[in-house]
Amino acid sequence: MLLVVISLFSFLPVIFIFVFATAPGAAVQSLVGAIILTFAFTGLFASQSVYFNKQWFRFQDMLVASRVSPASYAVGLSVSGLVVALPGVLVALVLVLLSAPVPAIGVLVALATALLLWIGLVFVGFAIGATTKNARRANSIPQVLSIALGFLPPVYYPLSTLDRYPVAQAFAMLIPTTHAAQLAKYYFGLIDIPVWQVALGWAYLLGFTALMGLIASRRAHWVDP
Amino acid sequence: MEVVRVEGLGKTYPGGTKALEGVSFSIDKGQIFCLLGRNGAGKTTLLRILATQLKPTAGRAFVLGHDVLQDPKAIRPHIAVVPQEARPQMLLSPYDHILYFCMIRGQSRGTARERTRKVMDDLGLWEHRDKLASDLSGGLRQRLIIAMALVADPEVLFLDEPTIGLDPLGRRSVWHMLRELTRKGATILLTTHYLDEAEMLADDLLIVDKGRTAFHGTVEEAKGDTGVGMRVIVEHPAGNGTGPPEVLEPRSAEEILAIVERGLREKRKVTFKPASLEEAFIKIVGGSIEVEDT
Repeated sequence: MLLVVISLFSFLPVIFIFVFATAPGAAVQSLVGAIILTFAFTGLFASQSVYFNKQWFRFQDMLVASRVSPASYAVGLSVSGLVVALPGVLVALVLVLLSAPVPAIGVLVALATALLLWIGLVFVGFAIGATTKNARRANSIPQVLSIALGFLPPVYYPLSTLDRYPVAQAFAMLIPTTHAAQLAKYYFGLIDIPVWQVALGWAYLLGFTALMGLIASRRAHWVDP
Repeated sequence: MEVVRVEGLGKTYPGGTKALEGVSFSIDKGQIFCLLGRNGAGKTTLLRILATQLKPTAGRAFVLGHDVLQDPKAIRPHIAVVPQEARPQMLLSPYDHILYFCMIRGQSRGTARERTRKVMDDLGLWEHRDKLASDLSGGLRQRLIIAMALVADPEVLFLDEPTIGLDPLGRRSVWHMLRELTRKGATILLTTHYLDEAEMLADDLLIVDKGRTAFHGTVEEAKGDTGVGMRVIVEHPAGNGTGPPEVLEPRSAEEILAIVERGLREKRKVTFKPASLEEAFIKIVGGSIEVEDT
């Protein structure tokens, strides 16, 4: 039971950084990054559930032949992962709020950003899971993507760290988690960014979600073509 | 009453592979309909089309009077499927698997608990209810998957090689259960590689080969149409036999009597071997069932 509880906090190392870091501002930013990435990874790793339920357990076939609708299957499958991750998010949120008091509206908008990113990456997860044909790829593709989306871009660390590397900074702006993290840090009052960058962040996330939704709808099938 | 009707059904996969071509048949209420064929012959494709999981590219198919392509939602609440090579979730107990499937099927928690108990009792799973699925034997896991399909009390049950991995007693308990279901009015379509299973269960039989109908009829018709009859094996006299025994196929009672008389006269051992579906099948598809299509 203890192991299950500990496993809920996938970003445990970040909590250690938070406790022991000498630069508290950076530590709080890393906690916000942890919240964003928890949502992101929960969405992305839906790909494993999609693959294993369809190709390995064959539960999708059993559910197609029942009164379950494709929408309720998709929502159930993706939300279940999020529900498991929520206790960890809650702890991180409490730690952030203890460090930097934020108005309720700021917290809600920051969480809305994370939720939008989650929806976009759930679509990515469905597109990957539905087209993956073997278990090795089903496990490794989201792992590799989680490095590209989570650990390399400025999510745990501030975007300003890349000021000396304009190419890397420009590249980071192509990654959806960067925008979500920037917006969340902004709404938590941890960084100040111009209004156009806020608008760009939302536009990017909305566009990304819509595009991934389109791709997922074409690739993930309830009834095979 | 006709429960399943298939008219000139065909399926060509997006890559161009032709899996089914011009298959037609019907299944009456309460029948067990067996689909036989070599690996890759199109059995699973046909079953998945009828279970509304795969779209056909030619012909039409109706289940309980509804078109599988036009009106799948009307079919789905009344059917259940045991897919080929389905596996339980290793970290869930058999009880949880079955209970959740009852609830997914729309049963209240109370009804689901009662139904779970009943199905687990019927399939000999109750004593294993709290084990993790990872700790079950292969046969018990397969029984669990079958139980998950049976909770729905379906009008039409689609089973894709349901007894694979079961021991002889496990297979017989599944056969008994399927017969019980048909007695209550359920209709069953099953694919199998076990010809003794088809021989034991099939009210009607369809043999598909390379996506086409190779035979449709009863087990007895399959044996009759292919000329497969009783075999009589006549051993060489004791101490005098070097070659294989004689294998004879008598066509009449007189021929059988003549063989027996000869055996008695020459003091040779005579063994009777009834006609098997396996021999008829091999004659129909022209090879062993184990041969993989390439």
